[in-house]
Amino acid sequence: MLETRNIDFYYGSFHALKNIAMEMEDHTVTAFIGPSGCGKSTFLRLFNRMNDLIPNTRLTGECLIDGEDIYHKSVDVTNLRKRVGMVFQKPNPFPKSIFENVAYGLRVAGISDSRFVAARVEESLKGAALWDEVKDKLKKSAFELSGGQQQRLCIARALAISPSVILMDEPASALDPISTSKIEDLIHILKKDYTIVIVTHNMQQAARVSDKTGFFMLGELVEYNDTKKIFLSPEKEETQNYITGRFG
Amino acid sequence: MSTRLLVNSFTYFIMKHTEKELIALKEEVSEMWRLVLSQLEKVKQAFLSNDVELAREVASREKRVDSFELKIDADCENYIALYNPVAIDLRLVLSLIKISITLERIADFADGIAKYIIDESANPESGDLKEDLQVETIFDAVIEMLSDSYVALESENTRLSGKILAKDETVDEIYRNAVKILAEAIRDKKIDAENGLKTMLVIRKIERIGDHCSNIVEEIVFYIDAKVLKHSRNNA
Amino acid sequence: MNSNLLKQNIAFGIFRALSLMVAGVLLWILGFIIYQGIGVISWEFLTTAPSGGMTSGGILPAIVGTLYLIAGSSIVAFPLGILSAIYTSEYAGNGHIVKFIRIMTNNLAGIPSIVFGLFGMSLFVNTLGFGDSILAGSLTLGMLALPLVIRTTEEALKAIPDTFRTGSLALGASKLQTIHRIILPMAFPNIITGLILSIGRISGETAPILFTVAAYFLPQLPHSIYDQVMALPYHLYVIAVSGTDLEATRPMAYGTALVLIVIVLVINVSASALRKKLQKYHA
Repeated sequence: MLETRNIDFYYGSFHALKNIAMEMEDHTVTAFIGPSGCGKSTFLRLFNRMNDLIPNTRLTGECLIDGEDIYHKSVDVTNLRKRVGMVFQKPNPFPKSIFENVAYGLRVAGISDSRFVAARVEESLKGAALWDEVKDKLKKSAFELSGGQQQRLCIARALAISPSVILMDEPASALDPISTSKIEDLIHILKKDYTIVIVTHNMQQAARVSDKTGFFMLGELVEYNDTKKIFLSPEKEETQNYITGRFG
Repeated sequence: MSTRLLVNSFTYFIMKHTEKELIALKEEVSEMWRLVLSQLEKVKQAFLSNDVELAREVASREKRVDSFELKIDADCENYIALYNPVAIDLRLVLSLIKISITLERIADFADGIAKYIIDESANPESGDLKEDLQVETIFDAVIEMLSDSYVALESENTRLSGKILAKDETVDEIYRNAVKILAEAIRDKKIDAENGLKTMLVIRKIERIGDHCSNIVEEIVFYIDAKVLKHSRNNA
Repeated sequence: MNSNLLKQNIAFGIFRALSLMVAGVLLWILGFIIYQGIGVISWEFLTTAPSGGMTSGGILPAIVGTLYLIAGSSIVAFPLGILSAIYTSEYAGNGHIVKFIRIMTNNLAGIPSIVFGLFGMSLFVNTLGFGDSILAGSLTLGMLALPLVIRTTEEALKAIPDTFRTGSLALGASKLQTIHRIILPMAFPNIITGLILSIGRISGETAPILFTVAAYFLPQLPHSIYDQVMALPYHLYVIAVSGTDLEATRPMAYGTALVLIVIVLVINVSASALRKKLQKYHA
């Protein structure tokens, strides 16, 4: 379970997240929506501590995964990132073969048993619904794949290190509708085994894939509720104005 | 919230395209509503004064109501397909579809009543009996329900909903009384059986109009307050 | 014709003419050198030492000397330059120290090469007591090449989009693993380009080797890094302006220049072949 308590986050003096408290159950898909710059991506990146890479940031409050404070001094960030996979907006496969892309996380973890790696790669590619398309060209460059396949490769890459949580930062925004719907189907399947948090600008996508939706605006979590409730009868007027396109 | 879709010439300019489409849709339903209201007024007049000409007029305008319903149905479908409405917009379109279907049913009943008048056999001969049956009152009650719910939608306000639903109780009561009165009248041969039964059917139709008006109110409440009344309300 | 289109055609016409002129100048120089120098190129010219007061014989010691100096200064400059570039662009962030390092590197690039020569003589030849030697010359040339190596390596690293770094870090890789497994392999082709440029620079420099390694006339080949060597650029200078019989050595000067150009060209071509090979995963 992911949980935050009184999260405040600053970029320099800019107050990017304001007192956010939220809980995300295991094996659910939670979508974050909101206008650009509302803090939803920043909030997402708290969970694998990617914000640590940005200089001059400050965090207060608690961010817990299964009850453990992931910002505690004793937490090893690289271990945390093995538990919390991430898929980015633009497919970013490495300039390596398809096989090596998926094996990357295992290799950097120091796993060298080649039979284990091969089995894990196959399993992950199957998990990302890509195996049938690439099984005959695992040695080919990942750049030879289409954009949608590359994104599924990135998902497979994240699955290979057996995370329990997968964060997706606008995973389909650079893809065509068919690739997008494949990613969405995949999210439905992955939900059984993973807790998924997805940031999206596509409202319909949030409605289609998620169980719960959080609406962010100006660094605040305006409304967090069942997706059905948000899209049929949101409680806050700001939410309604945003999802019906009357924002601003 | 209450003035969300109220149009004045200034706000119309700064409105989004999707919002204008939605207003046009709503205006279409309002127009149909006014037509159905006038049908009800006319059929009431025709029934009370036994005016066959007026009844014929009602019957002849039934087709216009039908074509309204078809057009609104198609326009709502298009709106959903093209604009993917969510939240309050989705609720509005859904209720407009249901309201237009319900309005069409109400107009059907008005048409049915008009047909009886044209047959010249559904009139209790004595004015006394009409009075006993409270025909005018029950007509006025459903007309008021329909026009109040029209106002509720136009002003996006659900304050009237309680009053409208209460009125349905009155309608039901008049209907129950009418059964007894007519049964008695037929037994006492004040009215011949066929005529009496047809009169009964007219009142039954008016009572059904009342029920449909209640449905419309529920749709309006669903649209504005997002509460589903249908299954929570005790059936009276 | 539309007047905007006309203007555009005129402007681009001028641009094209100018760039053709640049290529023309280069071809002219090359053609001139080849025309003048090709006559003296022979197996003997390439494989024997100069003789007869440098009016006859070949340039073998100078070729070997230049190759030694290229190798030596590469050993000095490449690891140092690449590692400092990795530090400044991948690790150090954007603090004051990095800014200071960067300014100093840029200044280093602006120092005239003769000053490097003087400095190298004072530090390596005299203070450290290496004497006039391949070691002292390589260190001096290496320092000269350092800013160029650092700058081009930094550019190569910066050209790698951050998405690859974050992608790798998000999979639990450490920063070092990310650099080692993702960033360096990706940046390698561009780093190589930088290295080629610096080799070109090193192989052509005369001033820094003047006081630190280059011998006026030394027919035997070096035995250790503490030996002096002849070098092509300096030899060229010698036989072009300060030889015993300038008229007789003029064609040999062009021949020497041709050899120098060919060496640089061969290194360039083989490096870009390597670059192509390394780039196979890039679309």
